[in-house]
Amino acid sequence: MKNKKSLIALVPFLIIILLFELAPLVSIVVRSFSPIDGIGFTLEHFIKILTTDLYIDSIKGSLIIAMVSSILGIIISFLGAKAVHTNKRTGKFFRTILNITSNFAGIPLAFAFIILLGNTGVITLFMKNLGFDLLKVFDLYSLKGLILTYVYFQIPLATLLLLPSFDLIKKEWKEAVQLLGGSKFTYWFKVAIPNLLPSILGTFSVLFANAIAAYATGYALLSSNAMLLPVRISEQFVGDLVQAKEFGSALAVVLMLLMVLATLILSKIQKQGEHLQ
Amino acid sequence: MRKSSILDKGIIIVIATYLLIPLILTFIYSVFNEWTSILPSGFTFKYYEQILSDPLFIASLLRSLVISFVPVLVCTIAMILVMYVTTLYFPKLERIIEVLCTIPYAIQGIIIAVGVLSLYSGIGGILSNRFILLVGTYCIIILPYIYRGLRNSLHAIHVHTLIEAATMLGCSKPKAFFMIILPNMVSGIVVSMMISIAMIFADFVIVNIIGGSYFQTASMYLYKAMSKSGQMTSAIIVILFVTTLFVSRIASYLENKSK
Repeated sequence: MKNKKSLIALVPFLIIILLFELAPLVSIVVRSFSPIDGIGFTLEHFIKILTTDLYIDSIKGSLIIAMVSSILGIIISFLGAKAVHTNKRTGKFFRTILNITSNFAGIPLAFAFIILLGNTGVITLFMKNLGFDLLKVFDLYSLKGLILTYVYFQIPLATLLLLPSFDLIKKEWKEAVQLLGGSKFTYWFKVAIPNLLPSILGTFSVLFANAIAAYATGYALLSSNAMLLPVRISEQFVGDLVQAKEFGSALAVVLMLLMVLATLILSKIQKQGEHLQ
Repeated sequence: MRKSSILDKGIIIVIATYLLIPLILTFIYSVFNEWTSILPSGFTFKYYEQILSDPLFIASLLRSLVISFVPVLVCTIAMILVMYVTTLYFPKLERIIEVLCTIPYAIQGIIIAVGVLSLYSGIGGILSNRFILLVGTYCIIILPYIYRGLRNSLHAIHVHTLIEAATMLGCSKPKAFFMIILPNMVSGIVVSMMISIAMIFADFVIVNIIGGSYFQTASMYLYKAMSKSGQMTSAIIVILFVTTLFVSRIASYLENKSK
């Protein structure tokens, strides 16, 4: 009896979860299948998404940016974490930089790149003085520019996530490979990387989810011209466009599906990797 | 020196440079009048003076601080109560609590924000108040971090031994939890609170969707300033960044201390 009374203490938590987690999620899914301002069941929003260039391009854009920035991010961070692992002293200084720059994202990050590489950016003008038109080779306000800024915020996150797993690597492994006549290449690709694979894939899925739902950086760089799914979603709810909650909900469901799909694929790869071992 | 060691140092330097340049450049940009040739010219602090004397900025900064703090407090209290129930009386509930607390981690903020706005914006009453909606949404966003922080610091101490000892000495279970267990968790709790505060403080997505023009925070002030003056924007970024850094430095200081 007394034990049951204690359940009252769960009430605040349950209210928050119900009102702001479960109800909104259910409502998004239900709404995505509802006709605009009506009751019923329809697939019209999903059909519209899949047949309109703007939305197809935005989905593609988000997927490309998430994939490319996560792959680049994981490669660079792997090299960084490996370097920290072998260089303990420089590593400490690097860790501090990672901790500081992990707070630098969103609008501030986009703006920093604008003053660096934008139309009147410092490097752009510097190159112009040298008689070189940077904008012809690299346009910040494009897919390439977005990838450059996304990679920036992926690196601190990925390196900080990867670092602990490098501590699991044992010195004996390297010695064993050397004793058996294996090269450095053999050591990294046959021993170290397969052992790090679970945490590499785990980090990759965090990066992917992080990039595909990222909004502020892209929006600050390109405003509504950004061909990104999160930008399409938010414009259905705020701003000048005619607001369409049902359609926006369908876009949000698409984003959720992409994230779920990515997680499933990655965990499948991970399982296959375990089988091979 | 070994060859590989030089290569590793080189990698660290290249990555560190890539990460630091935008940061340092933003700062330099904010303290000079002009930067159209190779070197900036006209050293000045006037942009900082202008911003810090703008009542709109101060108001938005205060709003940011309030909205960063309130949800973290609400969420932490709710979570402590949950831990109280699960550790003392219903350990079986822990699994479902864990699932509920990790859902927001998998679904990103933008989806929750959109869901909350479309569900409550037009219905009137207390639930259509934008401040309440923001507090509720942020509670969910930070939930995974608060949950993990609390659970880790709970596991770090011998909860059941402590409670057993206390009850044997005639202390009631609730009293043992709140007077003995909780004080031992404080540093862990504060760390996850600080991380959450820093997260909300830097947020733009959620406040842009839910707050809109009803609740202007510093990041929205920043977004508007972008189209006006480059130097001014840089100065705002520096001020906000230093604030965030300050909060997260306190967190890592406390974390190291508790180790």
